[in-house]
Amino acid sequence: MKARIKVIINGKPCTGKPGQTLLEIAENNGIAIPNLCHNGELKHYGGCSLCVVEAEGSPKLLRACATVAQDGQVIYTESERVVRTRKTSIELLMSDHDGDCRGPCVLSCPASVNAQGYIQAIARGDDKEAVRILKERLPIPASIGRVCPHPCEGGCRRRMVEQPISISYLKYFAADRVIAQGGYLPAKAAATGKRVGVIGGGPGGLTAAYYLSLKGHRVTIVDAMPKMGGMLRYGIPEYRLPKRVLDEEVAEIASLGVEMKNNFRIGVDETFEEFKSHYDAVVIAIGAWESMPIGCPGEDLDGVMGGIDFLQRVALGEKPDIGDKVAVVGGGNTAMDACRTAVRLGAKEVYVVYRRTEAEMPAEQLEIDEAREEGVIYKFLTNPAEIVGENGKVKEMKLQVMELGEPDESGRRRPVPVEGKFEILPVTCVISAIGQKANVAGFEGIELNRKGIISADETSYRTSMPGVFAVGDATNKGASIAIEAIGEARRCSRVVDLYLNGIQMPYQKTYLSVKNPTEADFVDYIKRPRAQMPTRPAEERKHDFEEINLGFSEAQARAEAARCLDCGCHDFNECKLIRCANLYELQPERIERLRDHGKGKTHPSYKEKRLVVIERDQGKCILCSQCVRLCDEVVGKGILGLVDRGFETTIRPEFQHSDDVIRGCIDCLKCAEACPTGALRILENELED
Amino acid sequence: MTEFKSGVDLSLMEGVLRQYQDDATSLIMILQQAQSIYGYLPQEVIYHVAERTGNSPAKVMGVATFYSYFRLQPMGTYQIMLCDGTACHVNGSERIRTAITQELGITNGQTTEDGMFTLNEVACLGCCSLAPVMMINGDTYGNLTPEKTIKILRKLRERESGQGIRILVGQGSCGVSAGAARVAKVLSGHMTATDSFTVETTGCIGMCYLEPIVDIYEGDKLLHRLVRVTETDALGIVEAVRKNDFSKLEAMFISDEDARFLKKQKRVALRNCGVVNPTSIDDYINHDGYKALDKALQMEPEQVIEEIKISGLAGRGGAGFPTWFKWDAARKAEGEEKYLICNADEGDPGAFMDRAVIESDPHTLIEGMLIGAYAIGASEMFVYIRAEYPLAVERLGHAIEQARSRGLLGENILGSGFSCDLNIKIGAGAFVCGEETALIESMEGKRGMPRLKPPFPAQSGYLNDPSNINNVETFANVAWIINNGGAAFAAMGTENSKGTKVFALTGKVQRGGLVEVPMGKSLKDVIFDIAGGIKDGRKYKAVQMGGPSGGCIPASLQDTPIDYKALSATGAIMGSGGMVVMDDSTCMVNIARFFLDFTARESCGKCVPCRIGTTRMMEILNRICDGQGQEGDIELLEELCISIKDGSLCGLGQTAPNPVLTTIRYFRDEYEAHIRDKKCPACECSALLTISIDPAKCTGCTVCARKCPVECISGERKEPHVIDQAACIKCKQCVSSCKFGAIVVE
Repeated sequence: MKARIKVIINGKPCTGKPGQTLLEIAENNGIAIPNLCHNGELKHYGGCSLCVVEAEGSPKLLRACATVAQDGQVIYTESERVVRTRKTSIELLMSDHDGDCRGPCVLSCPASVNAQGYIQAIARGDDKEAVRILKERLPIPASIGRVCPHPCEGGCRRRMVEQPISISYLKYFAADRVIAQGGYLPAKAAATGKRVGVIGGGPGGLTAAYYLSLKGHRVTIVDAMPKMGGMLRYGIPEYRLPKRVLDEEVAEIASLGVEMKNNFRIGVDETFEEFKSHYDAVVIAIGAWESMPIGCPGEDLDGVMGGIDFLQRVALGEKPDIGDKVAVVGGGNTAMDACRTAVRLGAKEVYVVYRRTEAEMPAEQLEIDEAREEGVIYKFLTNPAEIVGENGKVKEMKLQVMELGEPDESGRRRPVPVEGKFEILPVTCVISAIGQKANVAGFEGIELNRKGIISADETSYRTSMPGVFAVGDATNKGASIAIEAIGEARRCSRVVDLYLNGIQMPYQKTYLSVKNPTEADFVDYIKRPRAQMPTRPAEERKHDFEEINLGFSEAQARAEAARCLDCGCHDFNECKLIRCANLYELQPERIERLRDHGKGKTHPSYKEKRLVVIERDQGKCILCSQCVRLCDEVVGKGILGLVDRGFETTIRPEFQHSDDVIRGCIDCLKCAEACPTGALRILENELED
Repeated sequence: MTEFKSGVDLSLMEGVLRQYQDDATSLIMILQQAQSIYGYLPQEVIYHVAERTGNSPAKVMGVATFYSYFRLQPMGTYQIMLCDGTACHVNGSERIRTAITQELGITNGQTTEDGMFTLNEVACLGCCSLAPVMMINGDTYGNLTPEKTIKILRKLRERESGQGIRILVGQGSCGVSAGAARVAKVLSGHMTATDSFTVETTGCIGMCYLEPIVDIYEGDKLLHRLVRVTETDALGIVEAVRKNDFSKLEAMFISDEDARFLKKQKRVALRNCGVVNPTSIDDYINHDGYKALDKALQMEPEQVIEEIKISGLAGRGGAGFPTWFKWDAARKAEGEEKYLICNADEGDPGAFMDRAVIESDPHTLIEGMLIGAYAIGASEMFVYIRAEYPLAVERLGHAIEQARSRGLLGENILGSGFSCDLNIKIGAGAFVCGEETALIESMEGKRGMPRLKPPFPAQSGYLNDPSNINNVETFANVAWIINNGGAAFAAMGTENSKGTKVFALTGKVQRGGLVEVPMGKSLKDVIFDIAGGIKDGRKYKAVQMGGPSGGCIPASLQDTPIDYKALSATGAIMGSGGMVVMDDSTCMVNIARFFLDFTARESCGKCVPCRIGTTRMMEILNRICDGQGQEGDIELLEELCISIKDGSLCGLGQTAPNPVLTTIRYFRDEYEAHIRDKKCPACECSALLTISIDPAKCTGCTVCARKCPVECISGERKEPHVIDQAACIKCKQCVSSCKFGAIVVE
């Protein structure tokens, strides 16, 4: 027998020993063949069907894990037929996978901040770990934790038990504590010698600067305003976000070596072309700083102002003349900030004029309620028809009375005027807070979209100009929330980093498994209400700009974090299944179709802890049987077994007849260690006990 | 040991445990015995078996839950096995199921409160020509109607509550269920001491639609074949035999046309079926039985293999692999112990030739196996047979005893120095065990999950020793070949398919049953010439060849010859010989769904494409038949089919998509009609039907309104009636009740 045999794999001559399988020879020659049920300690199994390869002269596909290589064999591991077969097997596996790769909190966060991770860390009392996890995605958690409208809480599955976890407030609880202890910054990569210019020092610009700086690039941020922070500083009132908190976080970013230039406006202090010439790449994050006009007669009267301008002037320490009776037009968070700021400036009557009802308001309910407590009066179902002036100054508003009609494309009922019905509201000042838009003056030469703002590719953030990237409110769909700009900026920083290394690659979205539970799945949970944020009483707070929220106590925070259902998979980073799933371009809509949109059969997920320190989740099992075979063939215990046949097959530890843990299990953990998915999980905490 | 509260007397198992506990391969048999003792497998029994056999409870549980034969819940006194095979399905087993459910209030897997009946639906009882069929405690009841079914159930309940010339009676499962046992009993009863003729039992001749069949022989010469004989005919038959005047029996004579059914065939494998008495070894020997064995034992094993090679005999189980090649490989394989195994796990719903051979001519199988065992040098032989064939098991067991007592099995057979014994291994209900590696796993007492090949069984099979596995029909040809020479066998057939092939012909043909024809005949020859064409004057549409692993061949390809290659080219396969004929009232989407439902349920669950893929395909077909099909579903099905064929581990998964692929290939327009127009062109898928009354033809006779089980037909007497579409359950009872053809189904 020859000492070596030769196999041609994908055209590459590979050598191996006689008796070796195709999989072994491929692996030894650096050619990866995906597999999920193969285990060197065990006999060949051939269940997962992923290691199939095509061999010249063989009409059938071969399973590489079990096929002993023949000298001179010609093998293709990525032929069209092989890829199609593997892809179908993976899609089929995913169509019967009842598990969350990531928690719904993470998935609903526009910046993909690992909320589950830091909430669990806070529950354990490890605030520093919490901040470390936070800063993987969010460099300014103390600021954002105070102001974020927290879409994560909208996704939080604890709402199916009673109420979502107070994720956002827990974020700033941990961040404040770590800042108080001197802050946290991750290690920085070695200097690359590349220079990046960031235009705009708001949440987007700060984030891009932070991650690019960590990658070792030299970053400069320029900003038109006197201080960094953008809308967080000039749009959000002090009583929600004390500027000392923002200052601390900006200082942390500066301490990474990021150069910060304020009072620097493109087109005034330097042309964009000039600015660009200093850098290897440029990120534009200029935000949306212009209020949209109300669009009714009388808008040019003295006493009519934009919400953004109003908040900005207050933030700069001015005291705008607003008189006694202020009307704020709009129903979003800017409207809330404006009306509550007006209260604090001493206005006697403050109205919010909104054309729909409270239920349709985009502002957060908590803010709507708090404003009401502070004396704000809501004028629902009214719309400005005319602002009437006297001597060039605002005197009163003529309001068109509205009613709700058919739902529009956003699903909200469309307000329609009630013919001929009007109301007169005497006012001294009208603040328009119905939207904002970017001012792109100075950026001529960059392609704009139909809205007149910067057009950037949605996966690569590239603009029409090479080496120029753009994120945040000034791009594409326009103004949104801070965490959205932060998410774009972090993903953009990945693309820019690759660009600086000579690689042109868009940001790739990972395919993930997502569960769709209902409230019925949570009926057995004990209800524990959401922690209430202690606040200063309305009568006290309405007279000053001091922070309203007093912050969670430690006991409150730990208990709140402990409510977390820990939805996302703990084995996400080690999961072989999801890696296989991302090898090929899976079509989620095809998988949905295979699932028959939830009507198809699945193995429902349930968790049990009957193997002492191992938790088993049936919904994530792919029946590779490694656990069963290891327990039987290697450990000699045979505690786990296959039950039933065909699609109904499951893996179960002996019978389901008692609540006792399994007799005979010796905690060797081999099964859990071999499990290619999160179906068997070692409970670390119990192991330590 | 875990404590149990309920009192199960474990000592009842002592005997079987003592006998088998140390034989690792006997786990399935121990569990079968335990189930016959307790009626089911109580948990404590599983623990007890595990402890005594040295297995972990999880392993025993794995085996007990893999096979559909085993029950983990108590069973009723009467176990109703309702056949859901192809023929039964096509012939309305659904209505029988409804009748049972209505009468007993139980559905599949349930037991009546009084513990009297348990209903289990089984894949196929192999009595397709009697469809629809059920088996109760081993007795077969065929040609069921809802009324007949209810009558049978009530009778059982009543019983429980108190209560020279040879006349050959065909007593296969088909004959018995048609009343052959009673006919035989009455015939014997009319005999007196002076009568010189005998009344004997024989097997199935394959014309199941004519049962009970009584043959009158003078020696080996068939004088008359009487068909559809009843108990009241018995005295007349006895008297006719006494007087040697058969003129009065003419009404019972087989018609010329029916006789042609046999004459057009060429019987090799079935040569003794319906001719010899399956319970008599002497009768078999009188028909040249064991002559071939004697001849073979005087040849060198290599010569035997050479003769088989000349004959061109190929595996009749489905794959068509040359038999000599397997024998040769097993002969040459190194190993002290070698095994010869007969695969009698005839799981294809719609095929029953193996059952017929074993029930009718068990010695032919034993002889063929012995010749094979001698050729490969095997020391032990096994027949792995389905538990659903109790009569075949009984007759085979009886034949083995007889052969042993004559020195044809055991030590030093016929003084040749060759020793070999034969044992039966009874399956426990898993179609996948027909796959040879799964069969071996099952024989070893494990879950019947296929192994990866290589190594092939010829190198490492049963107990990792060289093993050769052939199907029943393959062995049934062997003695004939040795007696007549390989060349005589090879003279029949085509270039690459030699000899004859047995088909189980069912479905919408005039004469269903077992048909053996030389290779090379066309499908048309079989369906029209032998089987007499389509029933009820309807139009021939397609034939499903090869059961759930096979495919549908449309009428346009009816000239296709019976030949392994030619059949494969159509997308179907020769398979084990199931042939289900369909007419224009059969929906091709629904028939594909029926076959896929079978394979999905029988998937062992080991590999991903088959385990999840067949279930997903099933769900797509379900929604198409329910009128919920979506644009793109056909393409998705096709893609799944191709990937499942490519990615599956064993033959079950690799062939499971064939019925879907072939029906899409030949009847794509029917799929499209279901999806796009929400119409079933064959008017079979009830969700897509509209049943209405043509007012011009309706006479207002009220018959349909009275027949309607949901009272959704209304109208005044002598006025046209109307069907309330919202309430209609599309049972079509009105259609058959209307004498004026006024009811329109579309």
